[in-house]
Amino acid sequence: MIRPRFTEFNNVHVPQHELDFAIPFLNEDIPLYIDPFLLWKSPSMQDKGLHQMIIAAFNNLGVLARGGRIDEAVEQLILASECDEVGLGNSATRKGKRIGNKCALDVLSLFERIPFYKDYGFRHFEEIQLFVEGIGKDRISDIACNFMKSFLIDYTHQECTNLGISMQGVTIPAVYNPDKKGFEAAKTTLPSHPETGAPLLLVPKRWLRHVPWLNYDSYFRNHCPQDDIAHEGEELTRVKVLTYNRDNYGVVDAYIQEKERTVADCEHDPLFTQIPILSARRKFAAIKKLPTGKTGNADIKYERAIGELLPSLFYPYLDFAQEQARTDDGVSIRDLIFYNSRTHEFLREIMNDYESRQITFEMKNVAKIGREHVDQLNRYLSDDLGKFGVFITRNPLKKAELTRTINLWSGQRKAVIVLTDQDLEQMVEVFDSKQRHPIDFLVRSYNQFRRACP
Amino acid sequence: METIEDVEKLEKIVGQLQAAHAEISILSKKTPADSLNSFKLKVINKVIKESNKVLGGKYKPFEEFDKFEEDDLPSNSDVTMVLAQYMKEAERYRSDNVTQVHGRWYYVVDGESSEIPSGMPSKVGRK
Repeated sequence: MIRPRFTEFNNVHVPQHELDFAIPFLNEDIPLYIDPFLLWKSPSMQDKGLHQMIIAAFNNLGVLARGGRIDEAVEQLILASECDEVGLGNSATRKGKRIGNKCALDVLSLFERIPFYKDYGFRHFEEIQLFVEGIGKDRISDIACNFMKSFLIDYTHQECTNLGISMQGVTIPAVYNPDKKGFEAAKTTLPSHPETGAPLLLVPKRWLRHVPWLNYDSYFRNHCPQDDIAHEGEELTRVKVLTYNRDNYGVVDAYIQEKERTVADCEHDPLFTQIPILSARRKFAAIKKLPTGKTGNADIKYERAIGELLPSLFYPYLDFAQEQARTDDGVSIRDLIFYNSRTHEFLREIMNDYESRQITFEMKNVAKIGREHVDQLNRYLSDDLGKFGVFITRNPLKKAELTRTINLWSGQRKAVIVLTDQDLEQMVEVFDSKQRHPIDFLVRSYNQFRRACP
Repeated sequence: METIEDVEKLEKIVGQLQAAHAEISILSKKTPADSLNSFKLKVINKVIKESNKVLGGKYKPFEEFDKFEEDDLPSNSDVTMVLAQYMKEAERYRSDNVTQVHGRWYYVVDGESSEIPSGMPSKVGRK
């Protein structure tokens, strides 16, 4: 499979929009982060309770540090600083690094240095981004995950049971125990990574954002008194801002209060957003104007526009997996690969008839699909990708190539269908009018192909 | 036309074809490539099916066309074009079955002028 996801691997074919959790990839991270602010603002008592628990656990680090158990506090903070089980962030390998001793000591020093934290503790522990170098959105997300890992274990167990996903006995390191106020390993049953055997945790998508609501950049842009920190001509470095913040907590406090006031604007980020209708129309208009061939990089522009258009048109039936480049006979080919969620009767049919776990759309900005193009796609339609492929091209197939695709069906039961500019135009029209779903045009093309088959 | 019911059936399909054509041609002018939803297509197909029955072999516009296939996702302009053909043929059928009595036009039923008034035949229907 191309870019395998947790659900497809476990034979669960449900599109992302129908699931409560963000579907993790098996070999890379999801580029989103848990924002503790979303738990704080959630109307759910459960989410609010979890936020309270995270804050209590974090503030307990201050209690430990000030009570002479600084080593224990450092150890806990380092343990909390990375959570590989959830697979959120930017890593291409699902593996991250923990913070170092110095960074942990810097964070813990805030409980001494800033009177407000010394007396009352943190309200939002994300504030540490504004004081300590090296703490970013990934750390915030991981610390939140680790302090509520016990909940995430229950949540993952429940979701997997509902979907019928198999689980194995695993030992999870660094599960926070609120009774003992410390981390301990826990034995439980959870799904695991098929290759590494590492346990996987699922995260509700309602907690995810690309950037936390409280973050350094928004503080720096809108609230930081830049003129007070660096005089004209001086370089305004991040370190200078962080140092300034430590001595001027009032400025940070005003920022936090402002962000709390505007909480209504804080929403979770969806994993996929359809492009607006106007944008879809513009993209199609641009496609229509493009010449065929490679003149003026028309092929690259065509592929880019189609790559932006199709995932939106086919949403929510097909989740976009990846744009993929491959080479065949020295020719560079670009495909769009979609996960087959089987939520549409047609998608179930092509899964059953052609074993299409994923669907390949090959883009060809040519005036005429030739024999070699059909052969290339045919070679690519293997057992792994299924035996159903789609050409996205400018014009309908000529008789000879149509016959070739029909022969492929007759001889090898492979289906190669075509979506042309005319189909795309209609798809964009119905994307706007909502009279039909654009996927119906894929079905139409398939039906026309099957009528031509013997 | 053999009976008064035939006249009523013809007048009914003419009304339905005109109404459907008027609606879809508005859509067609705005978005010719857009498709009709399933409900609208079913209604149009009912009108076409009834028209095929009334018009019979002689006046049916296309021998091989019986209805729109749901899977073919016909566009607004496709539907407008076909409905226009049906309207023309319905009018030809009517024009062939009216006669003038004392300056007024009546349907011809069973070879005789009836008392059901009609309009002047259009240019298409005039022999």
